[in-house]
Amino acid sequence: MVFVLTAICAGSALVLAYANKATKPAREYQLLKYVQGPSVKKVLKGYDNDPIRDVIEISIGKDEKGHSIKIFPAKKDGKIIGIAYSSSAQGYHGQIEVMVGIDMNGTITGISIMRHSETPGLGARVVEPAFTNQFAGLKLSGQLNLSTRGGKIDGVSGATFSSQGVVSAVRKALELFPKVKKEVS
Amino acid sequence: MGAVVREFTKGLWKEVPPFRLVLGLCPTLAVTTAAKNGVGMGLATTFVLVCSNLIISILRNAIPKKVRIAAFIVVIASFVVIVELMMQAYFYPLYKILGIFIPLIVVNCIILGRAEAFASKNSVLPSIADGLGMGLGFTMSLTLLGAIRELLGNGTVFGIHVMWESFRPFGIMLKPPGAFICLGLILSLMNWISSKQRSH
Amino acid sequence: MSEYLLLIVSAIFVNNIILARYLGNCPFLGTSNRMDTATGMAMAVVFVITLSSATTWIVQEYILKPFDLEYLQTIAFILVIASLVQLVEMFLQKSIPGLYRALGIFLPLITTNCAVLGVAVLSVESHMSFIKTLVFAFASSVGYGMALVILTGIRERSATSPIPQHLRGTPLGLITVALLALAFLGFAGMVK
Repeated sequence: MVFVLTAICAGSALVLAYANKATKPAREYQLLKYVQGPSVKKVLKGYDNDPIRDVIEISIGKDEKGHSIKIFPAKKDGKIIGIAYSSSAQGYHGQIEVMVGIDMNGTITGISIMRHSETPGLGARVVEPAFTNQFAGLKLSGQLNLSTRGGKIDGVSGATFSSQGVVSAVRKALELFPKVKKEVS
Repeated sequence: MGAVVREFTKGLWKEVPPFRLVLGLCPTLAVTTAAKNGVGMGLATTFVLVCSNLIISILRNAIPKKVRIAAFIVVIASFVVIVELMMQAYFYPLYKILGIFIPLIVVNCIILGRAEAFASKNSVLPSIADGLGMGLGFTMSLTLLGAIRELLGNGTVFGIHVMWESFRPFGIMLKPPGAFICLGLILSLMNWISSKQRSH
Repeated sequence: MSEYLLLIVSAIFVNNIILARYLGNCPFLGTSNRMDTATGMAMAVVFVITLSSATTWIVQEYILKPFDLEYLQTIAFILVIASLVQLVEMFLQKSIPGLYRALGIFLPLITTNCAVLGVAVLSVESHMSFIKTLVFAFASSVGYGMALVILTGIRERSATSPIPQHLRGTPLGLITVALLALAFLGFAGMVK
């Protein structure tokens, strides 16, 4: 009686472990495609590949969950013309996760807010294009700061912490860029 | 051979779940907000039903009576996990829509019911036919209910606009009350049809 | 404190597990014909759901997650629930025979009640703490029991009314549940 039950459980365990391994790549791809995909597509321009499928995992840093950083490359005719990866910083209510698109000269091609827990109607307004569009075309310089600190970016009124959180996340991404560029070139 | 065909066809009308064989109501009500979802859920359930019927029928003489429910559950749950993994890997949007009801296939009374009532007592070929018939009957029923609710609640069937321009959809059809009413009315229709058949 | 209150109100009224989330239908209709069966079922449901959600939370946190076995969640949970119900049955039979008799046949039947597995999976998916999971499970099952008792009250009354033959039994039960669900739909928007 015990033997039969154990045999069935063992058989089941083997089959499931195999199924898990066999479907793992496909499942990870789907998760990336539907969770990060929309943001990646928003921040990269002029590519002819599938940035999700060509994802590169590098080991020079870890995000807050301890996973290695995933770089989504934008390619044209086989050459990398830009990359996108996520970065996060503290906002008003928690970490704000931002997907940053950067061309190979270190200029931002676009940003997209992926995850946040800011106040609706105030800090949450950082996701609006009126705020996020300001980042495109900027490099890691004094201009990449809130206008209250001498930069070119107008924060969302009444949401200084949230706006600063986004700026910090973007700056963090750009600071990492030279190392990232070396890894993917 | 005729017996096998009979086992198959009974699941399509005479004992079709959930309209005749009133089992498996939870997914029936929950996922039928659109015809497409009904198809997806029905096929996933059919897969589990056929596979578990097959294995349980093969092992039917090896499983001691006292632990049979536990053994059935392990077999059924394993196939449900396989379905889950495959849907996550290849049908992600549908997986998101069906949500919690995919793992709930394991407690779908149809599957445990057929395992207990049929597969554990019959040989492989009739068991497969039974599973396939019930599964496809279930799929058809879900699709029908899904189509009705989608039509009345959204004006579309399988995403295609069918109703006339000025049709204002009955949004309530897509919510729980709509689900319960539709199923209740369909069941009473089935009762009416069978009473008419009996009087002939 | 207020977030617990919110959780309770949400679980019982706004997102009632049977009237809004479609969980636990089969036994819902089957046991709502008489008040004594209904109350027996309601008690059993509250007991089993709360206990099993607590156990599955522990399994998820300390067994599935650390060993990267989250894909086995479904099979692990259902086995835990089935074993738990079995153990509880044996324990009650020996130690609290009064309760055992009151719950009757509903205890083993509950293993296949999708509400049990459903609430367990829901609470794990929302990444709630242990206490919150307990509160959520308890409140959800109370909501289920409440809906069951209300439905039984209505059905007992309507049993003596003239109803067309083909509407009797399950069809009318479903339509009554529809009206109940409609009433509870009014609670939507109470909790954001």
